[in-house]
Amino acid sequence: MLLRLLLVAAIVVTMALVGAWWQRRDGQVVSSDGRFRADHLDAVGLVGLDGVGGALLLGSPTCAPCVTVKQILTEVVDERPDFRWVYADAADHLDIADAHHVMRVPTLFVLDHGGRILARTSGVPAKRDLLRVLDREGELDPAA
Amino acid sequence: MTTTTRPGLAYDDAGNLLIDVRGPRFGAAITTLVLATALVIQGPVGVALVAFQTVMFAISTFAGLAWSPYGSLFRVVKRHLDLGPPPETELEGPPRFAQLCGFVVAGIGVVAFALGGADAVVGWVAVGIVLALSSLLALTGICVGCELYLVGARLRARGAA
Repeated sequence: MLLRLLLVAAIVVTMALVGAWWQRRDGQVVSSDGRFRADHLDAVGLVGLDGVGGALLLGSPTCAPCVTVKQILTEVVDERPDFRWVYADAADHLDIADAHHVMRVPTLFVLDHGGRILARTSGVPAKRDLLRVLDREGELDPAA
Repeated sequence: MTTTTRPGLAYDDAGNLLIDVRGPRFGAAITTLVLATALVIQGPVGVALVAFQTVMFAISTFAGLAWSPYGSLFRVVKRHLDLGPPPETELEGPPRFAQLCGFVVAGIGVVAFALGGADAVVGWVAVGIVLALSSLLALTGICVGCELYLVGARLRARGAA
């Protein structure tokens, strides 16, 4: 009986640790140096980024965290009125998902004015992290 | 899977059930308690608890979350403790799929007990797996259904090609 009790406790504690680890990496902004371009942006309707940054959110119709990310992007627009973003169902754009090795939804690509990927996140990112990426855009070498 | 609409619950424009995001976590907490107790005491009572939980999964899966016993209990608790409106709502699809997964794995356990008696190791391993995933949901609210979406979409695309 005691052994089984310990087994159950071990299972629950392990899952709590796995969950905590997962939540810590969830939403982390992974910077990219702008060398990689997001292709097929026309396909998702993100055109005319001239001079402003933007973002592409890959999600699913039934994903609750995707709704939270949309809310955060709307708040980013409040602070950066030029910022433009589009939402696309990942299942309808598997070419983009495959090209960029997207494993989960929501995955967000933050793009510069030329459609180059500045950063990506999986899960729910913090608004201040996204703003920091957008603020850094000017530091990128435009010829890269 | 179709769902009969139930008065007093929220539905979107297309008639899909919208649930309080706290509901599945509440249900997972009860599932965790039931299965943890079953795994500790085992024997006929433990097997009966696993069978009971499998029936709970079956109701939520086949009748829809509107009829989920734990969901109904959550609504009663919410009213009595005045927990307020949902912080967010979500479509029932992913949590209902999770109930199906629970039903399948716990069902394997029940079949193992039926064939091999209350000591069937396969049965208790199955119970341990469901216990692990329900405790993950109860403790952290991680949406396993979301994580599987792209896997499913890729498989469907490959199947259609």
